[in-house]
Amino acid sequence: MIKKNINRKIKPEPSGEIEFKLPPVKEFTTSNGLKVLFAKKDKLPIVRFLLLVDAGSVYDSGKFGLANLTAMMLDEGAGGLNALQLIDEIDILGSHLNIRSDEDTVYISLQTLKENIERSFEIFSKVIASPHFDEKDFQREKRKALTRIIQRKDNPDEIADTIFELKLYNKENPYAHLPLGYESTVNSITINDIQNYYKNYFSPQNSALIVVGDTNEVEIQNLINKYLGNWKNEPAEHINISPPLRRGSRIIFCHKKNAMQSEIRAGHLASKRNEGNFFARHLLNTILGGQFSSRINLNLREDKGYTYGAFSRFNYFKRQAHFYVSTSVSTENTGNAIEEILNELQKIREGITEQELDFAKSSVIRRFPSNFETYSQVATNLSGRIIFSLPEDYFDTYIDNIKNVTLDDVNREAVREILTEETLIAIVGDKNKAAAQLKNFPNSVFIYVDEEGNEI
Amino acid sequence: MKLLNLDYKKYTLANGLNVILYRDNSLPLVSVNIWYKVGSGNEKKGKTGLAHLFEHMMFQGSENIQKEMHFRFIQEVGGSLNGSTNTDRTNYYEKVPSNFLELVFWLESDRMGFLTSALTEEKLKNQIDVVRNERLERYENQPYGLAWEILSTNLYPENHPYHWPTIGFMQDINYTIEEVENFYRAYYSPANASMVVAGDFGPAAEEMIEKYFGSIESAQVPSQPEFVRVNLEKNIFIEREENVQLARIYLAWHTEPAFGKYDASLEMLADILSGSKNSRLYKNLVFEKEIAQDVTAYQHSGKFGGNFFIIATARPGADLNIIKDEILKELNDIENNGVEERELLRSKNGIKSGFIHSLQNIDALANQMNYYSFYLNEPNSFSYDLNRYESVNSPAIKDAVKEYLTKPYVELRILPQKN
Repeated sequence: MIKKNINRKIKPEPSGEIEFKLPPVKEFTTSNGLKVLFAKKDKLPIVRFLLLVDAGSVYDSGKFGLANLTAMMLDEGAGGLNALQLIDEIDILGSHLNIRSDEDTVYISLQTLKENIERSFEIFSKVIASPHFDEKDFQREKRKALTRIIQRKDNPDEIADTIFELKLYNKENPYAHLPLGYESTVNSITINDIQNYYKNYFSPQNSALIVVGDTNEVEIQNLINKYLGNWKNEPAEHINISPPLRRGSRIIFCHKKNAMQSEIRAGHLASKRNEGNFFARHLLNTILGGQFSSRINLNLREDKGYTYGAFSRFNYFKRQAHFYVSTSVSTENTGNAIEEILNELQKIREGITEQELDFAKSSVIRRFPSNFETYSQVATNLSGRIIFSLPEDYFDTYIDNIKNVTLDDVNREAVREILTEETLIAIVGDKNKAAAQLKNFPNSVFIYVDEEGNEI
Repeated sequence: MKLLNLDYKKYTLANGLNVILYRDNSLPLVSVNIWYKVGSGNEKKGKTGLAHLFEHMMFQGSENIQKEMHFRFIQEVGGSLNGSTNTDRTNYYEKVPSNFLELVFWLESDRMGFLTSALTEEKLKNQIDVVRNERLERYENQPYGLAWEILSTNLYPENHPYHWPTIGFMQDINYTIEEVENFYRAYYSPANASMVVAGDFGPAAEEMIEKYFGSIESAQVPSQPEFVRVNLEKNIFIEREENVQLARIYLAWHTEPAFGKYDASLEMLADILSGSKNSRLYKNLVFEKEIAQDVTAYQHSGKFGGNFFIIATARPGADLNIIKDEILKELNDIENNGVEERELLRSKNGIKSGFIHSLQNIDALANQMNYYSFYLNEPNSFSYDLNRYESVNSPAIKDAVKEYLTKPYVELRILPQKN
């Protein structure tokens, strides 16, 4: 064999530049007021529909769990088909119908083969426009939700998220609460509450339909006219949400007997999605904790070995936002890990380097095409445009917006958005082994809480 | 179905590296997926978890790549990457913009051929800590997290490759540099690996593969464990109290290896039992009687064996004995009466559209080609595989139940601690 001349010391150069075209997106509004975004993608004979309803748990108004339970009820019988008949038809078509909800939005999605688009869409429409809301089905789903609430107490990561968000936003703010609700609030919900909630929030004007796949505008229009043409409800007025109060540093601790690790969240409130320089914040987080090779993970995992992984993110709700670091560490390193997290937060405020910025920009810009690979990725990207009311050319200008961020922009965001003096730290672990390690943080208020975040 | 017939090219380098190329230019992305024919099944007693720990060491740099730089180079170009270990194999994969394909070949070939000079005590100690934390996070600190380990240690005798968990027993996660090096020399050579390149690439790819991988020397292909069929002589019953809210029951039977005679029938049976709201056990236990919060059945099959599992979580206050009776009654009914046409159709249509949906991701597709190549020696087995399911009928499911699910099983119950 001829020995190939190869110098393994030298990193290979890229072979030219790639060409990537975004799928064109068409937008229109139907006669009954439903906004539609359509991206054609015909590599495979698949069509994906995603209906976003502005009806998340922020509208629970004290009956925590109401939006979630309403969403759970949509496919438990609709348009003359009972719960079992409805899903049997979907399954026979080989389609997927999925419903979920979070703080802001109820998501109803349908994925179907092109050949079964009409019947699949018909059933999808029944779920949206004519759910039965029968008492018997309601009681069954309510019992399921109540059991799910009990099960949450088993998961340290879910407990950590729950207590962190409750204390961060504080009870008066709807974002403080679990979409799933609490035992007492779910128990108080009646079928009338569900019907009213549906009537108030599930309307075409309060929704948007995203379509991705092998179809066309005319077909979509016809399907909507035929199966969703009569869908109407008078949308209720949306409530106002006042911003949560900012507070000083606190540590909250939920004791879990014999826990093998400490689950940690550390963070604070942040600017909303459309406030300030989103792109600079995105690059900032990419450097700090957004991926494997970010500062926080390299420190806590690859250098110290405290954890299997540590990450940070800006979590954007529609009307609020927060920043947090998330990790799970060996119990004996609880204090050490928190110290390193706080060090990293302090350090990033002192500035990043030009190389770090170039790395982050390259990473974000070059990853862009792979965010449009699957049908559901395209739909999810478009749903971000709807939820945060982003401009129509958002994706067309995305790369330029990232390129235009300067070192000063990122450093400014770091000082403005990483607030070491008001960090809330939530820990779920064994207090007998971990609590003593927290004495090193004397400026913080220390509070014990239960699995739902109530002070004890 | 035409969609499922992939036009690929397969060849072997002089050093034995198996290469599979599949072109798809629909997006400017390319995926590289390498399977090494080594998994936790190749480990020895007392040193379990070494294959998985080794997977971590593959990301710690090699002769020409500094620590952390494998991840950094790929993330810098917007790529995604990872590796995973199971009982039968270890895989590594990257997906990058297509103009960076050569970068991936450079990184993968360096660690395939030139890893040992970069191994240090410090890196090893660090990754042992990371893996112990992984075990804590993913198993010990998860509700019911140790169930799999309890099931496999009871299903399989001590010397069987499936006796221990892939992550390894906690007390075993501690290895010397020599053990890590010997493992590398034995299993990480071109002749023991298969590489799929899928996506947007040109004719230069083949030259690049020869350039980067052709000069790596192969060790002798290691011997594999022998296949031994395992049977339980009688039912094994285990009951544990744990820090959980709800009781859960696990039933586990021995079945057969991947692509065995009844493998597909058992997978469809699992779907008919628990795959949808209309499935037998879900409808009975969760929807109608409301004695379970969830129920899952599945056939898990590998190179050295297979198992059928049924798992149900009891509602607060519900009796696991009743849940178990209902499960066995349902199996008995299928053994005697088979399944209905509509049940089969529902399953088959779901599986068929699942095959089409699975073609969306170029990296998932690349991995699937390596999967087929590993178990069937034919990367383009999508149609063959789909046909396995389409040809399942009621008698086949009846026979599968009779053959395997009427035999002794392991029963594990995890109960909330009383206090």
